[in-house]
Amino acid sequence: MKGLHVIGVSHAYGNNKVLNNVSLMIPAGELVCLLGPSGSGKTTLLRLAAGLERLQQGEILINDEVVANAKMHLPPEHRGIGLMFQEYALFPHLSIIDNVTFGLDGQPKDKAHRRAMEMLDQVGMTAYAESYPHMLSGGQQQRIALARALAPEPKLLLLDEPYSGLDTNLRGQIREDTLSVLKASGVATVMVTHDPEEAMFMADRIKILGNNGRILQAGRPHDIYYHPQHEFVAKLFGLMNRFESVVKDGHVDIPLGRIPAKGLENGRKVAVLVRPEGVTLTSNGGAKSAAGAPLEVVSTHLLGHDNIVRVALTADNVPASERDVYVRIHHTFEPELSQQITAGIDPEYAFIFPTDEEGESTGTGNRLLSVSQPEAAE
Amino acid sequence: MVELTSSFMLDYETLDRDHQRLADIVNLIVGAIDGDEGEKCEDLVIDFVKSAKAHFAKEEALLAKVGFPNVKRHHDHHESLNFKMEHLIEFAKNAGDNKLARDSLRKELVFFLMDDIITADMDFKNFIEKKSNAEKT
Repeated sequence: MKGLHVIGVSHAYGNNKVLNNVSLMIPAGELVCLLGPSGSGKTTLLRLAAGLERLQQGEILINDEVVANAKMHLPPEHRGIGLMFQEYALFPHLSIIDNVTFGLDGQPKDKAHRRAMEMLDQVGMTAYAESYPHMLSGGQQQRIALARALAPEPKLLLLDEPYSGLDTNLRGQIREDTLSVLKASGVATVMVTHDPEEAMFMADRIKILGNNGRILQAGRPHDIYYHPQHEFVAKLFGLMNRFESVVKDGHVDIPLGRIPAKGLENGRKVAVLVRPEGVTLTSNGGAKSAAGAPLEVVSTHLLGHDNIVRVALTADNVPASERDVYVRIHHTFEPELSQQITAGIDPEYAFIFPTDEEGESTGTGNRLLSVSQPEAAE
Repeated sequence: MVELTSSFMLDYETLDRDHQRLADIVNLIVGAIDGDEGEKCEDLVIDFVKSAKAHFAKEEALLAKVGFPNVKRHHDHHESLNFKMEHLIEFAKNAGDNKLARDSLRKELVFFLMDDIITADMDFKNFIEKKSNAEKT
């Protein structure tokens, strides 16, 4: 099957094991993001696929051909891969057309030139063929780097943090342009990033690498966001409200509501993580008996489309460590600091994870199916 | 089309046969999509899901029997695939008249088979090899 297969790869630098029995597959035409914190082994995995490092354990195949295992190592130049790094790495003394033609040196000059111009056309840069890299902006250089990587029609394209050198506004546009060029090329692409939003935007599938050198979870962006299997994965996508509780009668009580704990035995300690957009605020219009957890608004921060509201839960039985809650709401709803409001929970954004005695997550998550609100506050 | 090359063989006949059976069903589904017979997808995907669940149960029992140390983790992995299988069925139900559903089904099926099932099973390839070598000597 066309694409990249990594099977049972482990890798260590001295005593530091950075990859631990990692397996993954990327079919032709798909883009897979490796997402994880610094030191999780994602760049090492990319370098192993590229042949820039010798494989210590496991096997790597590109288009069904073994390119590395414990016994053999196909050099990078024979693997049919395209590489793109954050530094663009264009040759400053070569014109743009010569930069793109550089990787086509085995082809007749005319053919190489035609191919390079085709690629420049795809990335919308034909007008700059005779320019030099220093005459271009960062975004334009990034497009040239993409054209150069794709010109030899690689079997596999490897991107290492390709947008980290660009400013936020430009990054969005370049991401979109890159995605359409990659889809048109049909090449299998692996992209390393530590930016969850970038991974969500670009990837057909995301692989989350944890600090233990293992893949913690793999799936569509939707799967990863709405069905995180580990607390670590849930927390990767930004602020989380965390509550600790114990399963009782098949439910978990947290200050924001009562939650069914499907598949977890009674007495089990759990952590409940709720995304800020999963906390609902209801204005009571001054009434004291509305359902939901009573609170005080501490601060509001406008983030453009949304507000992030920090609230303090005021019920006596809420532990001090769980009083502060972050809520993401539409920018048109800006609660005043003194307003009477209560908080509830949207199950789409809440996740239960079993924990040990110290409150650390120990197992895979349990997706909530439904939630009931606590009794109205007296 | 999905073809299982030797790199994806565990050299454990029962499990390799299961993987091949799952690959065969995936190829039938891809064939139905390519042949503009999207309405066939639902039955085929239901068959695929049933076969996958039967494979998971068989595999877990087998791994427990041979003393594989990470059976619990593998069981958790299988459990985590339940919602993905629900999504596959949902895509298949709509495959008859919805191009996006057909495209999503094809893409997700290939990932599900090759990444979530077969590649994940490579986790115990080394263990099975060592066990089998030990038994021979």
